[in-house]
Amino acid sequence: MVSLNEIITSVMNFIMLNLKFFIQVLIIPGLLFILLFVTFAVWFERKYLARAMLRIGPLYAGRISGFLQPIADFLKIFTKEIIVPSDADRRLFYLAPMLLPVIQALTIILIPFAPDWVVFRGSGFSLILFFAISGLAPLFPLIAGWASNNKYTIISSLRTAYLCIAAEIPLLLSAVGVVILTGSFDLIEIVEAQSKMWFIIPGFLGAIVFFIGILAESERVPFDIPVAEQEIVFGWRTEYSGILFMLTMMAEYIGLLSWSLLFITLYLGGYQGPILFGMPLVSHMFWVLVKLAVLTAIIILFRTVFPRFRIDQAIKIGWKYLIPIAIVNIFIAIIVKTFFPSII
Amino acid sequence: MIDMIKKLFQPFMVVFSHVLKSPHTIKYPYERLKFSPNFRGRHLLDVKKCVGCGMCARICPNNCIVMIEVEKGKVRLPQINLGSCSFCALCVRYCPHGALTMTDLVEISTDKRENLIYPPMKLAEPPSIKNVLPQLKKELTVQVTRSKIKYIRRKI
Amino acid sequence: MSEKSSKQVMRISWGPQHPMSGQVRILIDTDGERVLNIIPDIGFTHRGIEKILENRNIVQGVVPIERMVMVDTANIALSYVRAAEEILGIEPPKRAQYIRVIICEVCRILSHLYGFGLAAEACGGYPAVFLWSTADREPFLDLMERITGTRWSYSFFVPGGVYADFPDKIKEKFLATLEYFEERLEAYRRAWFENKIFESRAKDVGILKPEDAIRLGAAGPNLRGSGVALDVRKDEPYEVYDEIDFRVITQPEGDSYARLMVRYLEMVESVKIIRQAIENMPSGPYRKFVSPLKRLPKGEAYSRVETARGELGVHMISDGGTKPYRIKITSPTLRNLYVVSQMPKITEVLLADVPVILYSFDPWYLDADR
Repeated sequence: MVSLNEIITSVMNFIMLNLKFFIQVLIIPGLLFILLFVTFAVWFERKYLARAMLRIGPLYAGRISGFLQPIADFLKIFTKEIIVPSDADRRLFYLAPMLLPVIQALTIILIPFAPDWVVFRGSGFSLILFFAISGLAPLFPLIAGWASNNKYTIISSLRTAYLCIAAEIPLLLSAVGVVILTGSFDLIEIVEAQSKMWFIIPGFLGAIVFFIGILAESERVPFDIPVAEQEIVFGWRTEYSGILFMLTMMAEYIGLLSWSLLFITLYLGGYQGPILFGMPLVSHMFWVLVKLAVLTAIIILFRTVFPRFRIDQAIKIGWKYLIPIAIVNIFIAIIVKTFFPSII
Repeated sequence: MIDMIKKLFQPFMVVFSHVLKSPHTIKYPYERLKFSPNFRGRHLLDVKKCVGCGMCARICPNNCIVMIEVEKGKVRLPQINLGSCSFCALCVRYCPHGALTMTDLVEISTDKRENLIYPPMKLAEPPSIKNVLPQLKKELTVQVTRSKIKYIRRKI
Repeated sequence: MSEKSSKQVMRISWGPQHPMSGQVRILIDTDGERVLNIIPDIGFTHRGIEKILENRNIVQGVVPIERMVMVDTANIALSYVRAAEEILGIEPPKRAQYIRVIICEVCRILSHLYGFGLAAEACGGYPAVFLWSTADREPFLDLMERITGTRWSYSFFVPGGVYADFPDKIKEKFLATLEYFEERLEAYRRAWFENKIFESRAKDVGILKPEDAIRLGAAGPNLRGSGVALDVRKDEPYEVYDEIDFRVITQPEGDSYARLMVRYLEMVESVKIIRQAIENMPSGPYRKFVSPLKRLPKGEAYSRVETARGELGVHMISDGGTKPYRIKITSPTLRNLYVVSQMPKITEVLLADVPVILYSFDPWYLDADR
């Protein structure tokens, strides 16, 4: 019989041995970081949108500027009732919003926050692994839209399928440009190769293509076609209420987080930046957070400025304009790597 | 090409300049707009001037006014049902002696429909905003200049 | 072989339970993304205004009829009051006519701003322009409050004139507000009309040719957006519109962008009209008293007025009592909705275009239902 004392000591030993892994999974870049990011992004979007519309925005929750408003909404949603339509497929209806944030959060474990701070190295192929996992993400709006048994949701899930297919290929092609400049698929080596100059300068066209691809893939304005509130009530999220609704909203922001982190890693130099106060680990993480904040703010800013595209215009942009520009970017990358290898 | 880039970036500048302006909305119930003297809110009856002619009851389009007897031997006074009143001010305009006027109180909500029928003595009390909104601290007037709208705040 | 296998028609109810539909139910038959048929189903806000007006005399009758189109109230009240004045055979004094024109043009600006904001929201949720247009109505509502006493549904017109005089100390505030508004129009032009994505969304969408516009009976800025220059203020001038210098705005293309552009330019014209009216206002009496308890002479009158949405007509028949015998109102929105329902037969309409086209026609269902 093993005594309680021995069980506790063996568990504590296990945690102490793998302390770094537990901090990575639970705190940063893990659960706590994702939840805090979603909270902050929701607050920033509501506040910035309100100021651009000459309103005040959240004010009373939390003493200054209502920064506790997302947490108040989070707690309120737990008290709401989950209503399932009577003709809906119950298992798929519950399954789709539960799995979607998980799949999108799974790609964040591949992003390096410091040269020795990454949850899963991916044995040298982490870029391909990222695209493989995130390629599953368009499947769940399709399942949710079909399982809800509603005309609006079916239209929206078909639009998601069209949009995500049109957006994936330009993303892959511009990532190929970065791989040519580096010579490997590993995300840590890609960041290390940007120590002299960030890849946004030689791969400028690829950065533009990748940025537009991010907007399309994470369904932000001007590509938020699957959630076109003016025509098809709320898209594939129409029939969800309560906790399931909160999961679908979280999925949008987690998708934004994961694609923004990939953009920072590929084009904006990842964790590269001047070392502050002689603490390399903390300052690497600090630079990632600064770049993430700036990029997310720019993407959220788009919502106040542009209306949205029609689905056929969005697909035309993806197939007709972005793919040729990405191919031109590959040629430029080959020329830079062959003839000017010393500037990168 | 230049045209397309200009049309994509110009909205950013315009929207961003709005972020730097002060907001248009006010923090009600701590602040409240000041209305003009001829604003049409709740009615106010001057009992000394009313002669009980009933013109207000005849001209009201929604039939909200009934002349009722308050004291024996004195003239009948109007009782107004503010629940069906449309605040058109025809009773004010057609009163021959100017006994009915309208104040600037709009917060008349109650939780029972019967409380919205105001008998003449209740109409004769002047309204006080502090009873209805105890948290009120400031009063705003709107001032329009060439480039923006400003609120001038005054403590009450 | 059979028709069923070649296209599969899905009927969507763009219905009253919808974030952007208004008080109407529109049935859309679609095949994939292409729209085959649009069937509007109105009647949700029918209040029986024509019957109510049979039981109100001509002074009380202004109150229900101006609640027919809340956002543009002065123009509707004006048509009722003009019909009553024609039956009575009186003409209001000149100062009253100038005051009426000023209030009507301010209401036209307010209505166009509101329709603008809704069209911006319909094109894809551009929330900034929607709320700026709501905020820009505030200075005008403040002015109206100082003149008439309330922010909308003024009950200010009466057969014989207006109820109160135009206070002279308001003139400076009026002119300051008009200058502020012209600055705001510039901001709208730069942020909204010269926005690349809005252009790709609204240009060449819902093209209405001039012959079709006349044949199907479009009204107001929708007709003028196809190049047909018809405006009641120029064809049959009423009040003092024949003494004021303004242009009729038309745009030749006929798509949704042109219709919104017509509304924008009409706002610029209204500012000019208001400035001229304030300058040239004569002094004098502002009301000819008409007793509400007298009997009306027998007769019939029809008055047409150009509201913000099109031409509105009030046909009043009186048989000698104090209250009119019958009133019939022809509303512009009902005619515009018919044009929208014939759109899939004239041009190609996609499902994502339906809100854009509908809100470029600026419908207000309360006056389609009456």
